[in-house]
Amino acid sequence: MADMEDIRKAFADELSSSETFAGLQQLKVKYLGKKGVLTSRLRLLSTIPAEERPAYGKLINDLKILIESALEEKEAGLKKTERDRNFALEALDVTLPGKYAVPGRSHPLSRVLKEITDIFVNMGFDVEVGPEVELDYYNFEALNIPRDHPARDMQDTFYITDDVIMRTQTSPVQVRTMEKRKPPLKIISPGKVYRCDADVTHSPMFHQVEGLMVDTDISFSDLKGVLEIFVHRMFSKDTPVRFRPSFFPFTEPSAEIDIGCILCGGSGCRVCKGSGWLEVLGAGMVHPRVFEMAGYDSELYTGFAFGLGVERITMLKYAIDDIRLFYENDTRFLRQF
Amino acid sequence: MRVPIEWLKEFVDFSMSPQELALKLTMAGLEVEGMESIDGDTVLEVNVTPNRPDCLSVLGIAREVSALLNLTLRFPGSGITESGESTVRVEISDEELCHRYAGREIRGVRIGESPDLMKKRLEKCGMRPINNVVDITNYVLLEMGHPLHAFDMDKLKGNRIRVAKAGTGSRMTTLDGAERSLPEESLLIWDAERPVAVAGVMGGADTEVTSGTRNVFLESAYFLPSSVRRTSKALGLKTESAYRFERGADIEFLEKALDRAASLMAELAGGQISKKEDVYPRPFREMSIKVRYERVNRVLGTSISNADMVDMVRRLGLGVSAGEGAFSVSPPSFRTDIQREIDVIEEIARFYGYDRIQVTVPKTPVGAEGKDGLYRSMPGIKESFRRAGFSEAINYSFMGRRMLDLMNIGEADFRRKTIRLRNPLNEEEGLLRTTLIPSLIQNLVYNLSMGSKDVKLFEVSRVFIERGGTLPEESHNLGAICFIEKAPSLWKEEAPDFYIVKGVFEALMDDLKISDYSFSRSSEPFLHPGKSCDVMVSGKKLGFLGDLHPGIVEGLGLKISRPEIIVAELYLDELVPLAKTSRKYTLLPRYPYIERDIALIVDNSLPAAYVMERIRSYSSELMEDVTIFDSYRGKNIPEGKKSLAFAVRYRSKQRTLTDSEIEEVHKKLVAYLAEKTAGVVRGA
Ligand SMILES: [Zn+2]
Repeated sequence: MADMEDIRKAFADELSSSETFAGLQQLKVKYLGKKGVLTSRLRLLSTIPAEERPAYGKLINDLKILIESALEEKEAGLKKTERDRNFALEALDVTLPGKYAVPGRSHPLSRVLKEITDIFVNMGFDVEVGPEVELDYYNFEALNIPRDHPARDMQDTFYITDDVIMRTQTSPVQVRTMEKRKPPLKIISPGKVYRCDADVTHSPMFHQVEGLMVDTDISFSDLKGVLEIFVHRMFSKDTPVRFRPSFFPFTEPSAEIDIGCILCGGSGCRVCKGSGWLEVLGAGMVHPRVFEMAGYDSELYTGFAFGLGVERITMLKYAIDDIRLFYENDTRFLRQF
Repeated sequence: MRVPIEWLKEFVDFSMSPQELALKLTMAGLEVEGMESIDGDTVLEVNVTPNRPDCLSVLGIAREVSALLNLTLRFPGSGITESGESTVRVEISDEELCHRYAGREIRGVRIGESPDLMKKRLEKCGMRPINNVVDITNYVLLEMGHPLHAFDMDKLKGNRIRVAKAGTGSRMTTLDGAERSLPEESLLIWDAERPVAVAGVMGGADTEVTSGTRNVFLESAYFLPSSVRRTSKALGLKTESAYRFERGADIEFLEKALDRAASLMAELAGGQISKKEDVYPRPFREMSIKVRYERVNRVLGTSISNADMVDMVRRLGLGVSAGEGAFSVSPPSFRTDIQREIDVIEEIARFYGYDRIQVTVPKTPVGAEGKDGLYRSMPGIKESFRRAGFSEAINYSFMGRRMLDLMNIGEADFRRKTIRLRNPLNEEEGLLRTTLIPSLIQNLVYNLSMGSKDVKLFEVSRVFIERGGTLPEESHNLGAICFIEKAPSLWKEEAPDFYIVKGVFEALMDDLKISDYSFSRSSEPFLHPGKSCDVMVSGKKLGFLGDLHPGIVEGLGLKISRPEIIVAELYLDELVPLAKTSRKYTLLPRYPYIERDIALIVDNSLPAAYVMERIRSYSSELMEDVTIFDSYRGKNIPEGKKSLAFAVRYRSKQRTLTDSEIEEVHKKLVAYLAEKTAGVVRGA
């Protein structure tokens, strides 16, 4: 019986000095293996008196369990030490920059153009497009701007021939649409337009979105309603909106729409020239003459049209002060959006 | 139009501040764009729209103010004492272009300086005082809005004024000192021998009023707006006078302006005024416009009472007579812009105030079309490129011939079928783009000059090809450019840039669910012949991509370490219709797969796609997929050869495959490939 205690002590000594997995394996073989210390003791059981056997057997078994669990515990400890050492070896410099595919950016004009288009599409407008190289007829004549009309001064035109021009507005799309579709009509036409003019605030090419709504009972108050919703969705729902009379040959009554300056909040600044208001849209009731030229009954139908400059809205939205930045395509500029 | 408040108050008494007045005018359609303080007075800068020539004068603005504020309007005095007949005889040869011509002689004037008040007012309105007679014509122009012209009467040959077209070969030196050849159709004022003024635009130097002038002939006329406009445009002469005539002068009021100027001359220059010479072949005819009360409210969405409508129109100075269901309006001669019912409706709206019109939502049903095909697929197409790191560029639609030359594009190439602007801003922007590549190259050059190292840009825009029709063909292209400076960088890139761009194309095709496309060598003149390809779908070219030709890169004079610039262009109008918009789910496989590799040594010139195609078309229903995972030249591979490695995946839809059956199938495939490609199986 006493030798059990000796075995336990001997094992404990050996275990405490064993610091490798191989050492532990040796210990395991030595004590628990087929020819191990405990196994051989078990074999001797038959040689001792029968009445002592259960007690002795229990002693051996208890010691076996103790050795097993001590070995396991020691092994787990070794594993942890080793893993900890490896953690230190494998450690990454987490301050190095990550590698990722830098995504490209939308052009700010595309971004805003899409925003504008989506607002109107969500209000049930269809998108219509037309040619950028356009007949003088669609760009001017059919919009009630005859050849010698002073209103042509409002738009410096690029000419290809006497009758073919770069469209100065996207309004010709309205006429082309009216020629092929019958009312009710609810369309917008986004796109590029051209004027031969270039400085900090004018670009020879820029983007417009024009809209047209025609039905049997459309009124100026409807125009106010639709454009107010647009302004509130585009800017914010507390943006003040102001409609004031203006002139466009293809609408009557015509209006210009101002919003409360989004930069100074209406108190007056450089951008709004101290007025507290920013002009963002032109609009009006479709001139009966335009309906007549397009073959619509101007008695039966009324409608409104509007137009806005995408560059202007984008410049306001992102506080950009030079229109030329849009067309330089400097990647440092494009990355900002 | 500049309006000094102090002058304005001469015609209408108002007590509001300039700021309040500015807001009032702005909200009535006369936008006050600016205000300037000059010598204790405020000058309003009023933006007068082209339909309102009647507001191009201090009196005209005063008339609006009096209507808006319901105040009395005072007219300037124009009482004169006449002495003697006019000796100058006036004849209108072209009644079409000149509807009225009136004049008076002012004899015995002393040319001198104008009084201070007059000079000051001219200056406030942006005009330079010259001498009393000329100043008076300008003063009356600003005050009453009607352009006048003073001739030195003694220089008029034969005491005659004739209004007639230029005809062929007419020349004249205008007041600005320029000798001009006059367009045949332009309307001129002639004396007995020669042209002495371009009607409504500018006087002639020969009959100019100078310090020696003693007798003046003062003209006040009405010329056809379109004629004045054409002449002014043709001569490139923009004058205050032409500006007003081309918008429409007041044919009735012109005699008041004549008398006002004559009386001022008598008063300030001491002359004697002759009786009036007045030829008026096309007198003003008053119109009557029927306006329906109900229509007004229907168009505006208002409920203005009949009486209020009539009152507003009357206050605006229009003739009105109220009736049952409608009222009739007779616009005076200064409001010829009012011609039909809608014009009167606008006046009512303007007067009533847009801010008082309610806000409603139309009840028109929602459109069914929404966005059309290209618009619907555009966001996805752009997304494919953005995901790959390309930012979106927007360029002008213009290009110069030089870029096409630089790109080696031959004369017969369709990209030479250009549309030319008649009045471009400059030669480099004289043509409409037929390809997006030149702009993108310029974007690259610009970005490199700004110090950027990696430039990846794409653009979606229209190109314009002349096809002989009235209008050019406009189609949508996508262009891209990619340059990556292989500067020492932390994490290494993997593939040649060519494959980066090609990968974007493939991702796009995958997005659009277009699968039957292929790449073949390109012969674009501006691409590297060995590093470029065309994108083909059923025999049709839908675009190209490749390294920019080294010769072209050299021509750009860039300071870059390696000349690897990739450009690409896709013809979206051809591509987008091929996109599969309807998608159907296919059953996911449930049984395990078995994968086997093949490594083949083949001729270097054999395209990998050829081998892929052979594997794909190999008829075995167990084959599910094949991918290429290696293409290698160099060590251990014979000269002129390359090693290609593929992974083939086998799977059955009905059961679990066994190794041995696949072994057999795969062996046959390998043998088949070796034969078809004249290749040697590696490791076999
Ligand atoms: Zn502001």
